[in-house]
Amino acid sequence: MSAPRRFRLELGRLLRGRVTWAVILLTVLSPLAGLTVYRPIASSSAGQYVTSMQGMYLANPALAGGLIGAVAFAVLTAWDLDRVKRGGMEALTDAVVTPLSAAWTRLGALLSLSALTQAVTMLAWLPWTAYALGAVFDLGSYCLIYMVFMYGALPLAVLLSAAAYQFTRRLDLALLMSAAFAALSLTLWSMKWQLCWLNPVVLDISDDFSNHRVLASAAWLRLTWLAALAGLWGLSYLCLRRYGKGPLGSFRQNARRVYRPALATALLVCAGFLYTGQPFLDHSEPEFDYNFLMPDEFLDTVTCSSRYADVRPNPATGRVYGTAVYQLINTSGTQQDIQFRLNPGYAVTSVRANGADVPYVLGTREAMNQRGLAVTLPADEEIELAIDYGGYPQEWNTGGMVMGDREISDAYMALENEVLAPILYDVPQTGDTLPAVIDLTLPGQMTPVPFGPAEAEPLRDNGDGTTWRVQDEGGSSIIFAGDYVREDILAENAGLTVQFYYSQKHQLIMEAADAAGSVRRAIEYCTQHIGPLSFYGDGVFKLIENRGGGGGYAANGASLANELDFTAQNLGDSSKGGAPEEVMLHELIHQWWGLGNMFDPYDEDGAWSAEGLTCYTTYRMVKEFYGEETARREYVERWREDVDNYYKDFYVRHPEYLAALPEQYQADIANSLRSVRQYSEMPLKILKAEELVGGEEAMDEILSGLFNRELDWMYPYLTYQEFLDACGLTEEALTLD
Amino acid sequence: MNIQISHLTMTYPTGKTALRDVGLELKSPALIGLLGPNGAGKSTLMKLLTASLLPTAGTIAVDGQPLDKQERRLKASLGYLPQSFGLYDELTVWQFLDYMAALKGIRDSKPTIEAAICATNLEEKRKSPIRALSGGQRQRVGIAQALLGDPELLILDEPTVGLDPEERIAFRNLFSRMAQERLVLLSTHIIEDVQSVCNQLIVIHQGSVRFIGTPSQLIAMAEGHVGVFDETDQAQEAGLHITSRVNTARGVACRAVAEALPAFVTRTEPTLEDAYLYLISKEGAQ
Repeated sequence: MSAPRRFRLELGRLLRGRVTWAVILLTVLSPLAGLTVYRPIASSSAGQYVTSMQGMYLANPALAGGLIGAVAFAVLTAWDLDRVKRGGMEALTDAVVTPLSAAWTRLGALLSLSALTQAVTMLAWLPWTAYALGAVFDLGSYCLIYMVFMYGALPLAVLLSAAAYQFTRRLDLALLMSAAFAALSLTLWSMKWQLCWLNPVVLDISDDFSNHRVLASAAWLRLTWLAALAGLWGLSYLCLRRYGKGPLGSFRQNARRVYRPALATALLVCAGFLYTGQPFLDHSEPEFDYNFLMPDEFLDTVTCSSRYADVRPNPATGRVYGTAVYQLINTSGTQQDIQFRLNPGYAVTSVRANGADVPYVLGTREAMNQRGLAVTLPADEEIELAIDYGGYPQEWNTGGMVMGDREISDAYMALENEVLAPILYDVPQTGDTLPAVIDLTLPGQMTPVPFGPAEAEPLRDNGDGTTWRVQDEGGSSIIFAGDYVREDILAENAGLTVQFYYSQKHQLIMEAADAAGSVRRAIEYCTQHIGPLSFYGDGVFKLIENRGGGGGYAANGASLANELDFTAQNLGDSSKGGAPEEVMLHELIHQWWGLGNMFDPYDEDGAWSAEGLTCYTTYRMVKEFYGEETARREYVERWREDVDNYYKDFYVRHPEYLAALPEQYQADIANSLRSVRQYSEMPLKILKAEELVGGEEAMDEILSGLFNRELDWMYPYLTYQEFLDACGLTEEALTLD
Repeated sequence: MNIQISHLTMTYPTGKTALRDVGLELKSPALIGLLGPNGAGKSTLMKLLTASLLPTAGTIAVDGQPLDKQERRLKASLGYLPQSFGLYDELTVWQFLDYMAALKGIRDSKPTIEAAICATNLEEKRKSPIRALSGGQRQRVGIAQALLGDPELLILDEPTVGLDPEERIAFRNLFSRMAQERLVLLSTHIIEDVQSVCNQLIVIHQGSVRFIGTPSQLIAMAEGHVGVFDETDQAQEAGLHITSRVNTARGVACRAVAEALPAFVTRTEPTLEDAYLYLISKEGAQ
């Protein structure tokens, strides 16, 4: 039998069908939906559609393509298989080849057709995507994202639909089963990254750095389901009707060749192993257990005088290997058990005290993305304890989704705390400070940026990379690494130098948006008018662009800035400012009025949000720098126009009609309306409050007071009522005309 | 090719027994006609021979080897035209035959496709889409696909249905020529087809083989049991199996078969159709 020729002719036959071409056309066009109606990746930090450029113009179209293409291919598969029966073709084909053999050929042809369609889709969308992404386009990411997010779904749909048909031999039942399985993925399983086989959970895609973990986790999901559905197809293959028997009789007949059921079972077992053995998320208990992170009491007979770590990330595998060395003083004169915390993805290969192996136990319990390591120290007084550790750093399973936070690639690394090296749990430091030296070996193009006042210096050139030395303090350290550009900005009026680290990929955009100038102006203005940020360092403040969503996290001497703030799309967002420089100001002002540090990140529905005060402060800065006329035209008039339109909106006047819409439309419209309230109505109210409290200076005083207020740590966020109280106003007083 | 069928019984999951303890030996070269009324078990026998069904009991051996062990070999050397079948409408005649040739594992398919097209008189339609063909032309495509690859065993279930008389004759002759060097099993309701070309006949009735032999042997069985008469009273038909009634100026000229012919019936030479009907009516009476 010439299987390749049969397969080629089967594919050729498919390609001559009109239904096939309709499916190809639909699939090729389906990324359009990702630009318009189906946009699963969107920043949750804003009431509007915000994501990275790649998220917007590449990942969302690819995800939409995967969803729609999969549905189309599921229909085509069931239709084509049923057609052979319905049209009586199998009377001829079954006489010359066994139905088993024909099933392989048909499956192969359908899978090849899906690959062909994918290739056409990728070619068709390439020029436009390259144009839309501009500076952040790269062909490798384009291919990977399309392959994993879109193509990954098509063979799954073919296998599922073929299996459903082969079990039932009925088109209607096969379509129903496939639809039910797809519906599960889109609803009940939609936020369970290992179950949503059709629409992988992708929370963000980075433009400036890398997306290895997100892509790897989506590929893992696809692989898991590929094994599961191939196994399912294998079972259905055994049920292929032969010799006039029913499904069970055929199963008994087809299963006589033991390798067939064995292969199907092996695939299902393999899927089970892939499901349970995923390396991305830990198995932390759902409850918060702060005691697991920090003991109630420290040991009083063992202290640590310094620590050292030699950390060797492997960007090719996403793994981290290292040796951590701790100088300990054991004053007890006896053996002591001490504990460490490390990332649950890590294994420990050896623990040595003064050069000799000592017993250790790696704990099985995982909590808050950490697991314990218990080490028995010898009775020696001075102990140099060395731990060899390493593995694939895991993320916290909260929400059951992979965020990409533990990215280890040749474009970006986030080596945070227990990911960098084991952390001492119950051993206090000997003196006031704990000196720490970290040697970090990175690929040549990467620059390490310690999060905090520490600096990284090159220690040696290894040919294919550089080992950097970071002199730090404390029990744990955070180091980011990437192809960073560092720009030193002197903010004289704030009394500090800002070290602004951002991705080289964004250099042109940053320069066009006058990033350095905006940073200086924002830091100086806000420091003078609102107050210095609590995390300013000693004359130096690092502002570090970081990967994906999030940002705003700050510690002594450093703060993170979300890369989404610097996308070309965001810098052109007129709701945040009249020009890219103003949007840049807007984003920097979020360092003061930010989500998570000043505003409740879980309260997104109301008009009171981080955006109101940020828009107001941007307006004030624009007024100071560019004049009252510009500020009035670009901000106040636009806010008024937006608010006027808002109250004329049909759904605002008739919310009962909004409630009657399908959930997705409802959410889209509600988001759009909410963003007007947050970005336009609230700044107008604050402007009105400014008039009522006596002008700009009075408002600055109030805002400075609110910014520097004593925090209630149970709920450290600024509420609208607190703002009103500070202004001495009521909500009614701020009602707009 | 030698096909040995022993004690073959086929009972469907519905409980209907289509074949009962059938024993046959089919040897090539031969053109064997398979006759029997609807539901007699002919199609079931053909499906069993093409390994589309598995017998409930009994065996089929191909060249001494059990069929279930020879399925691939059998399919590779089989040309089969089922009674009802479908074609891929979007393909042209040539493409469809190329597709079927690939399924049959024929490597150099062009000559065999060309030969099949010529044999079935489809030269002018080779590039026509199948959806544009008439019923008779589709039947010819079905026959053409059965001829692909010069099969050792040709099983044709009602091959001449839908063909005009001229085409039927042409195909009968074709089957006859093919049977000179292979085994051709022809199932049909058209006695004339069988009479013209088959050198062996198998009559199946109610799942059992009722006759195996040559057409002349079957005819000989009916000698003295076929007659004609002019009907004057319908009561004359009692006990007779009327095979034809022709209205004439003198009245109704009837042809009848019966185990024992009454005196008013004039004996005549039986045809194959008479003989077949005699056999079936005799079985029915029993």
